Amino acid sequence: MSALSTSSNAKPRTMPVRHYLWVLAALLALLALSAGSSLFKLGMLNSILNFGVSIAKTLLVMAVFMHETEARSLTRIASALGFVWLAILITLSLTDFLTRVPVPPPW
Amino acid sequence: MNAHAADVNWNAKSAPLEEQYDDAGQQRVAATLGMWVFLATEVLFFGVLFASYTIFRMLYPDGFAAASRHTDMVLGTAETAVLLTSSCLIALGVRAVKLDQNRLAAGLLACTAGLGLAFLVMHGFEYHKEYTEHLIPGVDFVQHGPYARAVELFFCLYYCITGFHSLHVAIGVAAILVLVVRVRHGSFGSQRYTTPELVALYWHLVDIVWIFVYPLIYLVGRSG
Repeated sequence: MSALSTSSNAKPRTMPVRHYLWVLAALLALLALSAGSSLFKLGMLNSILNFGVSIAKTLLVMAVFMHETEARSLTRIASALGFVWLAILITLSLTDFLTRVPVPPPW
Repeated sequence: MNAHAADVNWNAKSAPLEEQYDDAGQQRVAATLGMWVFLATEVLFFGVLFASYTIFRMLYPDGFAAASRHTDMVLGTAETAVLLTSSCLIALGVRAVKLDQNRLAAGLLACTAGLGLAFLVMHGFEYHKEYTEHLIPGVDFVQHGPYARAVELFFCLYYCITGFHSLHVAIGVAAILVLVVRVRHGSFGSQRYTTPELVALYWHLVDIVWIFVYPLIYLVGRSG
């Protein structure tokens, strides 16, 4: 566990307030983008755009509010694990449903 | 609980050091890592519901688009803005704790809890509206037309996802209110901020879950 050891009395590092406020502004702008774009008929692009905006918002929250940019590698791996397993779950589920071919009964 | 833990003064300015750790920094890193492992299980908890949603939406795209149009997009957007703002406030609250600004920290955390409560109240209004529109499967569900079954399926998932999410918000609000009291009593500071940081991580995850819920529930088929 010595690899995790850190100086206990070091003053904690903090980010300037304006960084948090800029991220909040970006999050609200992305929210406006997803809400506004959903009112236009873009077909599949609506879903792709919404998903992309959700990922962008998540990365902003994780990077700045959850301090992932300052986290150790082990913590970063742990934080990514849940999302990786979820991606595997959804991908494998979809490979089943997307490749099903209706087989008519032989009688 | 060992004798050491029983003698711990929880209002001490520095974190009590458990015997298995070399120093407070190492203890903090281990606690954060443990919290992230817990959050990974939470991601998978909601992930199962998201996977179900993905499959059924793929099977019934038009029905889900019709169902989504029954939800209140304005209220959903306001709820999202409220949660995003609350995430920023709790991050600023933890920052204030780290800088020994306890009064400011307590205020920011109280505002976060207030926004969480506002989210729950808005969601209550939504549920009430859906009740009056007979959109509660198994209790009072009246829909006709070719998409009736798909709409019912959508609302089953809607109540599961938003219901469990609201439960998480309520737990988060309770945890933050406890934090407010402890911060006001001076239990935390620049040498002891792990608990506020862990509660904030939980709150941010609740926010992240909603970031994905919002487009899936409120924005489908809005242009149709």
